[in-house]
Amino acid sequence: MGSQFVLFISATIFCIGAVGFIIRRNPLIMFMSVELMLNSVNFLLVGYSKFTNSLDGQIFALLIMVVAAAEVVVGLAIILTIFRTRRDLDVDHLNVLKG
Amino acid sequence: MFDLAYQTIVVVIGITAILASFGVILCASPIYSALYLIGNMICLALLFLLYNAEFIAAVQIIVYAGAVMILFLFIIALLGAKKEEKTSSWEKPAAFAFVPVLFGELLMALTADAGRPALGQFTEELIASVGNAQAVGMELFSRHLIPFELASILLLAATVGVICLAKFPAKIGGRRTK
Repeated sequence: MGSQFVLFISATIFCIGAVGFIIRRNPLIMFMSVELMLNSVNFLLVGYSKFTNSLDGQIFALLIMVVAAAEVVVGLAIILTIFRTRRDLDVDHLNVLKG
Repeated sequence: MFDLAYQTIVVVIGITAILASFGVILCASPIYSALYLIGNMICLALLFLLYNAEFIAAVQIIVYAGAVMILFLFIIALLGAKKEEKTSSWEKPAAFAFVPVLFGELLMALTADAGRPALGQFTEELIASVGNAQAVGMELFSRHLIPFELASILLLAATVGVICLAKFPAKIGGRRTK
């Protein structure tokens, strides 16, 4: 089982995140789907770092967490700014770049 | 006997993680999505523990299930948890056509290299002798020092960017509000 199981779980969660990003229109839930995809990749890296006797995967996962934290903070600030400007959060209604 | 119990626990937690991630994308209200996402992250942290990555598991709980999800819940509380109205659009069939292809491709690409031998130097005995956190720290501050420093610069840049976004009031109707 081992590595096959890890990559099956990881690919499944990644694809669920991709579906969620495409079909949902609430930007918060789209962000959560991106988090799902990032997390599934982290799991793959950690699992393979065990199977290959290497620590590089765990360090990659750590750096992915840093990037994800920065991305979430900036993204949520942008969502908040859009909400303050337009009072509306459906991404289908956001069709102009001008504020 | 121990090995069988271990495998069973890993499979159960993995399936729970998949179910929780279905909950994230299927709930209508973002607050339930956030709670399911916390469940998913805790399941993944348990899997990290079972795969001998104690330090990453702790960081996952503190950073993801703690800080990031608290931030999400704050924003949801600030914006109000409105349900999105159901409208039919072309995105759904597109997603259900595109994602199975993606899944198949991922499985093919990942299984192609499944027989790779364990070549690295960090065997379980070596990591157990010094501890996972110490092993990760030694590796991080020797071979991966430059990415680590770049990550700190990235966090600084994100902090400054968020302060800029939050500090200046949003324009309404082309005029700055004070």
